[in-house]
Amino acid sequence: MVTRFAQHVRTIVTAAEAEARASASPTVEAEHVLLAICALDGTDAQRVLASAGLDHHGIKLALEREVHQSLRAAGITIDPGRLPRATIDSSRHLRMGASTKKALERAAKASAGARQMQPCHLLIGVLGAQAGTVPRMLAVAGVDQGTLTERVQRATDGKTQ
Amino acid sequence: MSDVEVASPHDPADALAAVAALRRLADQMEEAGVERAMRAGWSWPQVAEALGVTRQAVHKKHASRLIAAGVTLRRR
Repeated sequence: MVTRFAQHVRTIVTAAEAEARASASPTVEAEHVLLAICALDGTDAQRVLASAGLDHHGIKLALEREVHQSLRAAGITIDPGRLPRATIDSSRHLRMGASTKKALERAAKASAGARQMQPCHLLIGVLGAQAGTVPRMLAVAGVDQGTLTERVQRATDGKTQ
Repeated sequence: MSDVEVASPHDPADALAAVAALRRLADQMEEAGVERAMRAGWSWPQVAEALGVTRQAVHKKHASRLIAAGVTLRRR
């Protein structure tokens, strides 16, 4: 199956790498893709997220809370944001993490039949995760993953038919 | 009683998420710590010994990043 990518999807993938770098992650994970989707104005994917109350800032905060909560399960109460950070190496190429690879696989499946993979397909891929940071972040933010997925699905179907 | 805010090490989902968060925390601390040590003039063998890994492993993992950050590295 050959997947063609809409220009917006390329923009999002590039922006996701910048998001990962900014949060000092050695890999590009699904949450970075989600942040990049939020940051690109004028897409259906961004509108659906906004309708659920999710914007870039809100997701960032929910991700921080998710980390604190998860660390607390191990008895750790430190805020990683207050620890020293290494200098960001902007020339370093970041690999795609497992969560992003899975999200892209699901996005490719979701876009089968469409002319190109659109941001909404990418969002469906990201929201398809059963476990991991994105589902936990959504729970922290009080967003129902299933309902959100249905909304994106509807927005996508409306466009491709 | 159950509060979403309270994560428990006995819950598998929370335990696995904690492992993922701890790995990220350890990576962040390692990157910052190695950079600080090298800026302070530590040698690769010293950093490797402090981390409990081989000199080759620590060099492979951090050398190019530190060079890009403008850190003057001592001979390995």
